[in-house]
Amino acid sequence: METNEFDATLGGAEHLPLSANNLKFAASRSVEIAALTELILRPSATKLIFQTLPVHMRRRAMSHNCKRLPKKLRDAYFEQLKKSGISPKQKRPSRKHRRRPKYLLEEYNRRQKRNMWLETHIWHAKRFHMTECWGYRLAYAPCDKAFRACYRGSSAHCLMQDISYLTPIQIEGPVDVIKDMFSTITNSSCNLSIGAKAYISGNREGTIHVYNSNTYPFGYIGKVQFMWIPSTNIHKTLCLFVHPAIVKQIELLLMDLLSNNTEQKDFEDVSKKRKLNHIYAENIQIKVLSGMFNRFRLTGPNSHAILVNSLKCVDDIQKIKHDDWVEKCDNKDLELLKEKDQYWSSLSLANSPSQLPPQAVIGLVVRDPRLRRPNHRTKALCKHDSAVNTSILTNIPPHASTSALWNLDVHETIKKNAVTNSKYIQHVTKTQLVPGEINENDPFLQSLPVVLVQRPGSQDPTHKKIGYGCGWDIIMPSGYGLPFWLTFIMFGARPGGLRETESLAFEMGECYFPPDSEAGRIEEEKIESELKNRYFRLPPSKRVNFIKLGINAPFICPWRLLLQDWSETPVEKFFILRDRQKLNNLQECIQAKKCIPQMENSDFCLVAVYLQLSVRGSLKKNALICLPEQNDMSCIKELAEPHHEDPNEQLRKVKRAAHLKLLKQLRKKRIKQHKKQITTIKKLNKKTSKEPSKYVKEMRELWLPSNVETVRHIGARQVMGYISQGAFSFTEARSCGVGYITYNALNTLLNMAKNQVLLRNTSSRKYRLANIQIAIH
Amino acid sequence: MADENTLQKKEEPKKKQKRYPNKNYSVKKRLPLRPVDGNNVIFITKKSNFKAQLDKCCDLLTGGENEIILHGLGSAIQRCCNLALQLEILFAGTCQIEVNTGTVDLVDDLEPLTDDLDFDTQVRHSSSIHIRIFRVAMLGAYQNQ
Repeated sequence: METNEFDATLGGAEHLPLSANNLKFAASRSVEIAALTELILRPSATKLIFQTLPVHMRRRAMSHNCKRLPKKLRDAYFEQLKKSGISPKQKRPSRKHRRRPKYLLEEYNRRQKRNMWLETHIWHAKRFHMTECWGYRLAYAPCDKAFRACYRGSSAHCLMQDISYLTPIQIEGPVDVIKDMFSTITNSSCNLSIGAKAYISGNREGTIHVYNSNTYPFGYIGKVQFMWIPSTNIHKTLCLFVHPAIVKQIELLLMDLLSNNTEQKDFEDVSKKRKLNHIYAENIQIKVLSGMFNRFRLTGPNSHAILVNSLKCVDDIQKIKHDDWVEKCDNKDLELLKEKDQYWSSLSLANSPSQLPPQAVIGLVVRDPRLRRPNHRTKALCKHDSAVNTSILTNIPPHASTSALWNLDVHETIKKNAVTNSKYIQHVTKTQLVPGEINENDPFLQSLPVVLVQRPGSQDPTHKKIGYGCGWDIIMPSGYGLPFWLTFIMFGARPGGLRETESLAFEMGECYFPPDSEAGRIEEEKIESELKNRYFRLPPSKRVNFIKLGINAPFICPWRLLLQDWSETPVEKFFILRDRQKLNNLQECIQAKKCIPQMENSDFCLVAVYLQLSVRGSLKKNALICLPEQNDMSCIKELAEPHHEDPNEQLRKVKRAAHLKLLKQLRKKRIKQHKKQITTIKKLNKKTSKEPSKYVKEMRELWLPSNVETVRHIGARQVMGYISQGAFSFTEARSCGVGYITYNALNTLLNMAKNQVLLRNTSSRKYRLANIQIAIH
Repeated sequence: MADENTLQKKEEPKKKQKRYPNKNYSVKKRLPLRPVDGNNVIFITKKSNFKAQLDKCCDLLTGGENEIILHGLGSAIQRCCNLALQLEILFAGTCQIEVNTGTVDLVDDLEPLTDDLDFDTQVRHSSSIHIRIFRVAMLGAYQNQ
């Protein structure tokens, strides 16, 4: 309000000086100017670059998109981003760019780093639900709802699965040494041994049960398929096809047998073993050939027609002389091509693989499958012009199984000379005048060695209909998976995944992964955690209260506890009975309702059984197998578990109320703080880990108490065992299950002169009657 | 089982075959060779429901099929005959039956139980029946052109 601060010319009292010294003027303001320029050039740390802009020049989402900034500020913007440690976000390249072959391949290679891919992976990934299993990314089930269709495929048409994940292991050495090596890890009572006369010629594929060395009957590892590669030499090659779930164990076991570390007390034994190890290490070579072969499994009667239609044999070695791989292998593998062709064409008159010799191995040289591919998807049919001669079916010619496929030098050349689809199409359009015509003897595409392995399926009419599950396995060199796969698909094979492997095993009455092996235990635990998570995701009102139903282990079968309860001795390890003779005896005893003989180790022994509900009713995983009482048969319709008291119910209610109260208190506190505007107390970082809180854990404990002490006497009827796989079986048209019961329980059952058991699902109180049968495999 | 025993007696003078193998082998059966398959061909089994099989035949005949062929093997022969006779009664006067009998060679596998034996096979024979049921008049059924 100082009115007198006007210039004199305007009527004020201030007089301006006549001259101004600009140097002095600037000097007196220099500090201020410096401060201002400093502030503009280097904005303080709290400011972002776009915040330096005047308000009218600011744009929405400027901080996210640098293109909204003026161009001259962009460098500073990137500078700032770099300082703050955030890498500047780049635009995702367009889909067209990303799908260019080079980039696509790079992307595929990146994605294959974590999990192995099969050759048909991309074909499957477009049509299947994929899962991560055993280090592979595998197809689980087709996206179309094809459960029944897959069953029909396996029983009446053809179901095809890619089982290239089976790892081949080649063992080379003198036959006697290999036999000797395997005698410690297999047992002759389970199966024929690896050096049995039936297999040694290489005409048939065999199966062995592998145990840890000298631990039989404990220490089961898994089932392994094997075949001998035919040769007249004393040095022979054995090819094992090992499931990837057990391949690490088998590798370790074999390496162990070869190496020299022995830690045994008995001196004589040690020296003997050392000597043996020495012999093994000197003479035996082991090669793990993962990814060297493709193996497809075709199941169902029509698989034969599909193979007959898609494989065209080469009948003369002169015709394939120009293929590069032929030069690399010895002629011994390739002679007798004409005889092989004749044999295959005589077999082609059969209508189903189950009419052919079981487990036969046939090596063929075939034309590229693309040459036989039909234009449309058609169903391959078998020929009917003449009946097949029984004498051809009864014996396999000795030369049938030789194949150049086992010669590993060949693979590289075959893969190198493989013609891509686009090259092939170019070639066809160039050479064929009539569109769509194909010259079957085109030398442009090389011929390929393949090996076919027959699977007999069910051969026992009392168990399953004859021929259910029969089919062919085809083994081919790597690089040719997709051409073969697509040809089979075009001839009407239905593709399946791991779910079909499971359901086929169930329909055949086999157990997918036996619980006494490491792989089985891992599988069980995986399923348990899946089921448990699903259970606790449900709201409490929709959860089955297992305590009230008298079930204390609904998601996993506590085999050790069960055996402990039946034997009254502590059980550390257990085993499943696989002795064929004993199993046959047991089956006879069950049929005749006789008492079973005493057996050593019976306290630790489980027996695999196949159960069929005698009337209707459904059966699920982990159902209880219970011991019937004397007069249960008369009142089976009303037989149910009585209600159990749930002591935890009240506790849960109290706990939940207390928890809700606590939550409410905390909420009130937060609101109060918010109103007071206390910003100094920072919010605690939210827990991002999946670890549930203490309250959740306690509640879960109250729903499913983890301290299970007894499993035998939990209900009205004693528990004998558990169902490990149960569902409605299409082959039997009723609910069936594969399960295990303890040997002692079976003994008790047969002492009561009964051969039927009671079954109860984990979510039900109803007991149902079931027929019991020993599963012999 | 009865016809199997008689079969064995008949064969005995010819050649002593290894029919009932000893403890060294277990017998596994293979699928019998099938005659020509088709939509109107039905293989009668002991396991399938009799009524279901009858209904299937009725459906085929009323659906305009001119002939259906039933095949029965071994112990299913009786069932096959029963079915054909039932059909004859149901389609009284409009259907006729032609019966053929035959023998089918069955191949069994002998799976060795000891290491020093190879796989073996045996050939069994089983009687079979093939019944052709064909229409002689179409009564109110849809005429298949």
